[in-house]
Amino acid sequence: MAVTTSLTWKEERSLQNLLGNVSLGLLYKSSVHGNSTEKMLDKCVHQGPTITVIYFHNYIVGAFMLGHFPVMHQDFRKPSASFYFSFQKNESTKMTIAFLSTALKITDERLTFYSSDDAIFCVIPSKSILSIHTLLRKKLELNLSSRLMYSGWEVFRVEGIKDDAGYIRKITRATQHRNGLLAELRAYKPCADLVSEIRILLLGPVGSGKSSFFNSVKSVFQGHVTRQATVGSDGTSITELYRIYSLKDGKDGNSLPFVLCDSMGLDEEEGVGLCMDDIPYILKGCVPDRYQFSPHKPITPRHPAFITSPSLKDRIHCVAYVLDINSVNNLSSKMVAKFKQIHKEVLNFGIAYVALLTKVNNYDEVLQDDFLNMNQSTTSQSQIMNVNKMLNIPISNILMVENYASECKLNPLKDILILSMLRQMLRAADDFLEDLPLEKTERKTEREWNAGEKKWK
Amino acid sequence: MTVTTRLTWVQEKSLQNHFGGKQFSLLYKASDHEFSPQVLLQICSDQGPTVTVIYSGDHVIGAFMQKSYQAENEVSIKLFAFQETEILECEIRPCTPSMLFPVGKAKPWQRNSEFNIDLQEKYMYIHSNTSKKLGLPQCDSISFKECEVFRCEDVLDKRTMEGVTELRESLLSCIRTYKPYGDLVPQIRILLLGPIGAGKSSFSNSVKSVFQGRVMHQALVGSDTTGISEKYRTYSVKDKQDGNSLPFILCDSMGLGEEEEGLCMDDIPYILKGHISDRYQFNPMKPITSGHCNYIDSPLLKDRIHCVAFVFDANSIEHLSHEMVSTIRRVRRKLIKYGMVHLVLLTHVDSMDLITKDDFIDIYRCLPVKSKVEAVHKELGFALSDILVVSNYTCEWELDPLKDVLILSALRHMLWAADDFLEDLPLEDTR
Repeated sequence: MAVTTSLTWKEERSLQNLLGNVSLGLLYKSSVHGNSTEKMLDKCVHQGPTITVIYFHNYIVGAFMLGHFPVMHQDFRKPSASFYFSFQKNESTKMTIAFLSTALKITDERLTFYSSDDAIFCVIPSKSILSIHTLLRKKLELNLSSRLMYSGWEVFRVEGIKDDAGYIRKITRATQHRNGLLAELRAYKPCADLVSEIRILLLGPVGSGKSSFFNSVKSVFQGHVTRQATVGSDGTSITELYRIYSLKDGKDGNSLPFVLCDSMGLDEEEGVGLCMDDIPYILKGCVPDRYQFSPHKPITPRHPAFITSPSLKDRIHCVAYVLDINSVNNLSSKMVAKFKQIHKEVLNFGIAYVALLTKVNNYDEVLQDDFLNMNQSTTSQSQIMNVNKMLNIPISNILMVENYASECKLNPLKDILILSMLRQMLRAADDFLEDLPLEKTERKTEREWNAGEKKWK
Repeated sequence: MTVTTRLTWVQEKSLQNHFGGKQFSLLYKASDHEFSPQVLLQICSDQGPTVTVIYSGDHVIGAFMQKSYQAENEVSIKLFAFQETEILECEIRPCTPSMLFPVGKAKPWQRNSEFNIDLQEKYMYIHSNTSKKLGLPQCDSISFKECEVFRCEDVLDKRTMEGVTELRESLLSCIRTYKPYGDLVPQIRILLLGPIGAGKSSFSNSVKSVFQGRVMHQALVGSDTTGISEKYRTYSVKDKQDGNSLPFILCDSMGLGEEEEGLCMDDIPYILKGHISDRYQFNPMKPITSGHCNYIDSPLLKDRIHCVAFVFDANSIEHLSHEMVSTIRRVRRKLIKYGMVHLVLLTHVDSMDLITKDDFIDIYRCLPVKSKVEAVHKELGFALSDILVVSNYTCEWELDPLKDVLILSALRHMLWAADDFLEDLPLEDTR
C-alpha cells in the first residue's frame, strides 16, 4: 500500500521554493495511520522542522513549525518560529502566508497552536474539525467559518531548511517586501525633478561584478535572469566600452528613472585598464555611450562623439565603487592609491558616492529580519571597516549584494538586497542634487566647463 | 534540531538507481529518535515499502522491505551492501518485524537467524553465508553507529508526472505567444555552434519534435563522417497545433574543428550579420565571398543572428583538446565583439554518471551536473548562469514530458537572451 501525499506537485514546489529548496518527507497521513493525535505523535515526535497540512474541498491550510513537536500533554514550551499558509485550489494556485511565533500543545483530543495566549489553529481529529482564529483567518485572507470539517491531514518533515528563526520570518515576508521595493523604485522621482533620471557610475577592478550588477538589476525588473552585459570568468569578457544602460520596467514597460553606467575595469598598473584621465570626463558626462576606451589615452574634446556641453542630466550623479568582498582585504597599495585618486576627483565634483561589495555568500543575513537596516554583524565586518577607512565612506553607504551570476532562477531574498542597495544609491544621489544651489545649477556647470577649457588651452 | 540522513548524494543516488527509480524519505534515525525497536516500529509501521540502512565503520548495509512493517505480519526482506562500485544483494527468509529488530533479551528463536538488528546493543547479527554474498567480513556480529529507516516511493509517480505535464504545457504556451523585443523582427534567429558531434542537429530535431508532438529527424544526425553537418541550415519550426511558424528559427552550421577542419573562423562574422542563406556549403579553408549565390548583400535585422548557443556534449568537456578550447575562446571573443548574447547547452545529460530521467526535474542540483557546469565555467569562461542542460531525442520513438521541459526551458532562455540582444542594439541598427 503506497503512502503518498495529497499535495499536488505544484503546491509542493511552491512550498519548497518558499522554504529555500528543501525536501519534504511525508511522516504521517491521517487516512493511513489513523485520525488521532496519538497516531500522529507516534510518527512525528522529534523529527525537527515540520509542516502540518489540512485538506478541505477547495482549500489547503497548513502550519510550518521550526522546532520539534512536543510530547503528549507536555506543557508549554517556548514559542517556535512558525508560519501559516493556505492554497486555494483554483487556476493559479494562490498561496497566502502569515508569520506568527507559535507554541504547540498536544492532548488526547487536539493539536493546538497558540500565539500569545490565543488558540489560533486547532486540529480536533475525533470530529475532523479544524478551528482557525479570526486573527489568522484575516491574515490568510480566508473567507471561511472558524470551524471547518476537513477531509484529511498530513505532517511532513522539512529537510534542508536553515535552522534560524530570523530566516523563517524573512522568507514569509520576502515576496511582499520585494514587491513594495519594486513599486517604490518605479515611482521614484529624482530630487525636485532636476533631472529625469539618475546616472549611477559603476567603477571597480576587472572582475569585481560591475556588469553583473547591471544584469542583476535588470533581471529583477524583468522577472527572469538577463544577459545584456557580457560576463564570464576569463579575460575574454572584460568590458572595454563605456555603456550607458537604461532600464525598463518589464519587457514592454516604461523606462525607469535611473541609468547604470558601466566602464572599463581598473587595473593597478599604469597603462592597463581604465585611463585615470578619462575619469573627469566620465563624471562630467562628456563620454558618449559605446565609447571605446584606451588604457593609454583619454578621450579628448576633439573626439567626434565628445559631448561638449553636458547638462546636469548627462552628468554622473552617484558613483558606486564596486569591489569583490573576497578581495577587499587584499587590495594592493597601488590599487588603493588609484581608488583614492579617483575618490579625490569625485569629492571635487561633489558627486554622491557609495561602495558596493559583491559576491556576498550569506545574502540572506545582510539585512535585519524586517529588511529595513543592515545587520550589526554585517556592518562590523572587516571588509566594511577597511572600505570605511580607505575612502572615508559612511558605513551606511557601504552596500552588499549577491549578483545573479551562478543560477538561472530568481530569489526574492536576493531581489530585496539588490533593490535595497539600488535605493540607497538613489538616496545618495538625491542628497547630491539637493545640495546644489538652485540658482547656481546652470552657472555651476558653466563654470566647470570654462575651467576645463582653460586647462586644455 | 534538524534530522537528516548520513547517506551521501552518490550513495542515495546509487540506491535510487538500484531499486528502480525510488526516492527515500527519512522516517527514523536512531541517534535522534532512540536506539529502540519499539520506537523504530512506532514510527515506521504502516509507511509502505521501506529501506533500513545500517552504518558500521567502513560498511553501509541495508534491508529493503517491499511491504509495510506491521506488528505480526511477515515481510520479505532483501539485504544489500555497498561495495566498491556496486550494490550486492541477498534475499533472506521473511520474518516479522520483531524478529528483525529483537529486544536485547530475545531468545535465539525470537531472532531472524540470517540477519537481525539489536538496536539497544548496537549490534547486527548476520549469518556467514549471508555475509559472503554481500561481500562483508566473515564474523557473526558487527557493531554499528547508526540506523536509519526510509520510506521508498516512486520518484515519478502520477502526481509528479501530472505536474511536469502541466509545466510543459505552460512552457509551450509561453513560447508560442512569445514576441521579440519591440517587435523588431518577426522571428528570432538562434545560431547553434559547437564541436562536431556535440548534438547541434540533435537539438534542432528535438525542438521540432516537441512542437510536432512526435519524434522527428529532419536534420542529419550521425556519429560518423557522413553525418556531419557541412551545410548552413535554417530551420523554421511549425506548431502542430495551428500550423503556424513559431517565433524562432534554428540555424545550424558546420561543426567547430581544429586547424584546417570544421567551420572557417572567417565565416562567423558573415553568419552573425545574416549574409549567408540556407543550404550554403561551407568550406573549412575559405570563407564565403560576396559573389557567391548564397551570399546576401544587404541583410536586414531579421536576417541576423539574435542569439548564439554553444552546444557541447557534457561527457566530452574534460576531453576537449587545447586547440578546441582555444578555438572556442576565439569564437566567444568574436561574439562579444559583435555584441552577441550567447549561452551554452550541455547535451547528453542522461548519459552522465548515475543520472537518470528521474533527475531531470531538479537537474541542476545533481552533483555530477554541478561539476560539469563548473568545469565549463572554468575551462571555457562562460558565466554559470548561462550554462543550460538538455537531453536530446536520439533513440526514442515517443516524446517524454521530462525531456520536453528541459528542451523548452533552454529555448525560453535563448529567447530571453535574444531580447537582451535586441534591446542593446544601437538605434541605427534597428531599421
